[in-house]
Formats: sequence, C-alpha cells, structure tokens
Amino acid sequence: MRGFWVTVQMGLRMYLRDRGAVFWGIVFPLILMTLIGLAFGRTGSPTFAVTVVDQSGGLLGRGVLQGLRQVPLLRVEEAADIDAALARLRAGRLTLVIVVPAASSTDPIRAYFDQARVTDSQMALMILERFVAEANLRLAGAPQALRLQATGVAGRIEVRFFDFLLPGILAMTVMQTGLSGVTWVVATYRQRLILKRILATPAHPAAFLGGLVGRYTLTSLFQMAVIMLVAVLAFHARIAGSLLTLGALIVLGTLVFVGMGFAISTVAKSPEAANLLGSAISFPMMFLAGTFWPKDFMPKAMQPVIGLLPLTPLVDVMRGVATRGDPLTSYLPGLAYLAAWGAVSLLVAARRFKWE
Amino acid sequence: MAIVEVKDLFKRYGDVVAVDHIEFMVAPGEVFGILGPNGAGKTTTLEIIEGLRHPDGGRVVVDGIDVQRSPREVRSRIGMQLQQAGFFDRLTVDETLQFFSAFHRRALPVADVIHRLQLDEKRRARVDTLSGGQQQRLSVAVALINDPRIIFLDEPTTGLDPQARRALWEVIASFRREGRTVILTTHYMEEAQHLCDRVAIMDHGRIVAHDSPRGLIRAHAPGTTVSVSPGGGQVQFDGLPGVRTVQQANGEIILITSDPLRTVQALLELNRSGQVNFHQLRVEEATLEDVFLHLTGRRLRE
Repeated sequence: MRGFWVTVQMGLRMYLRDRGAVFWGIVFPLILMTLIGLAFGRTGSPTFAVTVVDQSGGLLGRGVLQGLRQVPLLRVEEAADIDAALARLRAGRLTLVIVVPAASSTDPIRAYFDQARVTDSQMALMILERFVAEANLRLAGAPQALRLQATGVAGRIEVRFFDFLLPGILAMTVMQTGLSGVTWVVATYRQRLILKRILATPAHPAAFLGGLVGRYTLTSLFQMAVIMLVAVLAFHARIAGSLLTLGALIVLGTLVFVGMGFAISTVAKSPEAANLLGSAISFPMMFLAGTFWPKDFMPKAMQPVIGLLPLTPLVDVMRGVATRGDPLTSYLPGLAYLAAWGAVSLLVAARRFKWE
Repeated sequence: MAIVEVKDLFKRYGDVVAVDHIEFMVAPGEVFGILGPNGAGKTTTLEIIEGLRHPDGGRVVVDGIDVQRSPREVRSRIGMQLQQAGFFDRLTVDETLQFFSAFHRRALPVADVIHRLQLDEKRRARVDTLSGGQQQRLSVAVALINDPRIIFLDEPTTGLDPQARRALWEVIASFRREGRTVILTTHYMEEAQHLCDRVAIMDHGRIVAHDSPRGLIRAHAPGTTVSVSPGGGQVQFDGLPGVRTVQQANGEIILITSDPLRTVQALLELNRSGQVNFHQLRVEEATLEDVFLHLTGRRLRE
C-alpha cells in the first residue's frame, strides 16, 4: 500500500487549506441547522397552537382532546366559542381550530386553518389527519381503543426538534461531501492530469484511490464532531444513542457516497459538469429524504420514490440511533440497501474509472 | 546493449495512425531526442515506452524488461515528466515531492532534489504560486525523485522564456554527466541540436531519419543555406554555381550550396543586372531545421 498514507496525510492538509471544503462541510450544515431549527423548533415542543371547540359534550370530544394532547408537536386548548377561536386564528395566534360536532349530527370533524400560513397549516393538518386516521383504525377494530392509544403515545420519549434535526444534518453533510466534494475533486485531478501523473508511478493506483477514501472518512468524522458539538452546546440537542455507533454510520455513509462521487465523476466530461451532476442528484435528495422534517410531510405519491433514495435509510438509522438509541439490528434492511448502493457505485467506478 | 529498444511500434486512434511502425534504439548514457512538429506522434511514442499507453503492435523493452508485460516494474526504474501534468495547488513544493517520493520503493532525499532543480527559495511556496519555469522544474524534480537510470522528458521547455530554457538545458546536461539516459521530445531544433547525442526526426507518425545532429546535417542538408526573398523576375536558381537543391517555403527560396561564396556572387550579379530583385538575402550554416525541410518539404513551425 505504498502511497496510501501519504495520500491521506496530504489530503488532510489540502482539506484544511481549502476554505470551500470547510465551508460546505461545516459552516453550511451549521447555517442550515440553525435556520431550520429556529424556523420550526422556535417554541420547543409543542410547536402548533390548536384550539378545540367541543360541541359534542360527550365521549367523542373528550377522546379527541385527550388524544391530541398526547401529540408532541401540538399545544392544545379548549374553547367554547367558535367565532372567538376563528378570530384568534385570523390574527395568527393559532394554527388550527378544530370543531368536534354534536354527537347527534353526522357532520365530520372540521378543521380551520390560515390559508396565508401554508407551511405551518400543512404540517399541523398532516399531524391531525394522521391522528384521525389512526383513531379511525382503532375505532373500527375496537370501540375502546382511543384510551389505549393515548397511553401508547404518552409512553414515548419526548423528542425535541433539534434532537430530530441533528442526525438529518449529519447524514446530509456526508452525502454532500461525496456527491459535491468528491465529484469536483476527482474530476479536477483528472482534467489537470494529476491522476495520470500518479498512474505514472510504480505504486498500485488503488493506493491513491484508497487514500482518498481514507481522507474523506477522516474529514467526515471531523465534520460530524464539530457539528455535534455546536448542536449540543448552542442548541442543547440531546443524543440518546452511542457516539461510536453514529461514527460507524458516518464511515459507512462516507464509503457509499464517496463511491457514488467516484462513479459520477467517470460520467462527466469536466469538473464543472461533474459538480453540477452531483448537485442535481444531492439537492432534491436533501429535501426528500426526511433530512429536515419527517418524510410523512411529503405527498403520498412521492413516498415510493423517497423510499428508494440512498439517503433515506442513512437518515432513518442515524435518527433512530441518535434520538432513541435504537440498536442497528432494527435497521438491517435499510443498512443492506445502503450498502448495495455503495457496492454498485464502486463497481461502476472501478469499471469505468478514467485516469485522463 | 541498448537500454531502450523499440521494435515495429504501431498505434492508431480510430482512422488516424499516430505511430506508424517505428523502430529505434537508445544506448545507455545517451541523450536521445525525438524531434518533430506538433501532432507528429512524439508524445504517443513516449507514453507507450513509459507503459502509459498500449500499442496496437510492436514491442518495447526498457532496461531488459518488456514494458507491456510488466509496466509497473519499468516505471520503478524510470523517471518521467509528463507534458502539461499538473500538481495539487494546495501543496507546497516540498510536500509535492514528499508525496511522490512515497509512491516509490526508493527515493532521493527531497531536499537534494529541490537543490538540484534550484527550487530552494520556493521550497515552502504553494504550487499555484510558482511561475511557468518553476512549475516545469518541479515537474522535472518529480521525474528525478526515484533516482532513475532513464529519464523521459516530454517537451520539457515548451512555453519557457529563453533564460528558463537555458537553465533547464543545464539540468539535462547534468543528468547526462551523471550517466543517466535521457529521452526527450521537442519541437525546437536548437534544443535537439544543443542537447542530443542522437536525434530521431518524426513526422506523421514515422521516423524519417535518425542519427547524430551532425550526421543528419551531413546526410540531408550538406553545405550552407542561402535564403532569398525575390521581389520580381524569373530565374532558374538550380542553374547557379554550387547550388545542390532548391526549396520554396513561406515565400522564401532556400538554396543549399556546396560553394556559398560563388552562389552569393552569382545572386548579387543577378540583382545588379536587374534580372531579379531581392528583398532579403541570408547565409546560414545548415541546421536540423534544414534537414527537416529537406526531408518533409515543410518547416518545423509553420
């Protein structure tokens, strides 16, 4: 493995001298985390103010109230007067007004939202829809299930938004390093004939490529440490799972996305094209894979696509470990799927890799 | 005997034949030049010998080793400077040489190589701050780092100013003094003439002649060159005294003569009698440029 360690060592020096790499690997994720965290997590939990007007005066109204109060993201109040509640909604002080109809009527449960505040309304409605769907499911099966469900929800660990966001940001950073960083770097080395110059030495070319992987693994771990430190110190994020497991997941993610970066760089003709292609793949993935908010918030029609993205299982397992301390064994299919992406990428890269 | 042996080498890219069945040998300790215009196939030939490209036919043996069979073994014995190959912008001269030295089984001390190439002042400078001449010297330093017996230089002085070119010539001459074999390509005939023990002249993928610079001149452009730019009138130049060949290139008429004194006298006589008007008249010793002109009918740089 002549050439491996020197590639890692010099690679780290180049990383520390490259303001662009440090920006995209550390500063940019921190800015995103801060902005998204402040936008959605500003009140801590609960996030959405919901007022329930109970016209049923009975079991249904109380059931709904009790159920909603267990949903972590909602702050639930009760009011008697619809008009007063709607006035507060128009004034922007509530996110939803929920009206439970009289027991005798066949009206559905009505939810009023502020059309001007699309994002908040959509999210709150989504939570509500899910709540209603789950309640219906249980009501259909067993009439008394509402009470049971309430206990189930109460048993969950409270997860605050920053705790939820942090593993998503970490997974995104790993992906960005591979898809935007590696594509650019490898394509530049190729264009400037640096790869050819290395091929002209007697060392095995795998030593250099392996050294690059080593360099990106170490920089990813470094980036993870800095982002975590800021999240914990500045935003009081809590990490339930083991740091060692998270580190191992970062290493796996780096291997997969660096492999994808190698593969992409073999297709593109110039560094600019490689970078553009990498970004075109990573950017939508960043928003779809549940990185910043739950995947359920995305439209139902997109769910199959979301399930196929390689970033999705990485976000899922990192979030499970970070927020709940889940064991890796609960995520074996996702991990296998992720590893398959890595294996295919490396295979494509190995077969098509061009040195000049 | 030969340290590099090239036999019946052939390489094509699609319909274009880049290297057309060439053969030559290089003796240990000699500086061997491949001279030719851009696109003649010089770089392709060099990169096949270095094991960086596969030939479509023929065989190359370097230091007793078949290049196609063990390219990496060959690469450990040779040093090469690649045309236009870049280095990592964010590393210094010192770090770049450390990097490449770690890719070799044995290497010279980095500080010595830096000193040899007069890069001491730039030791801690980042590669992207170097001038063209300094980058070129770094490139030659990388070729020297593994203390090779054979050094390949692909157009080492292209794009350099005359002073930087002279400095690099001195370095190449020192390789020769140390007993290293040097194989270089160039399209500067002065460079080939100044540095090389033997020169192969390459054109359209073929070696049209190879010998020592003096031998080539004797065989293909003996005598002295007289160039004139005629303004008007018609003259049979090949009837003039001493003239052996007449060539026309870039509006000039180039006469190769075995008796320059009588040829020039005859030309001046023609001018005085008004049969023809000359704008210019030059008398030069023949060079490799004339050899190339004689062999191909074209100048090296047109």
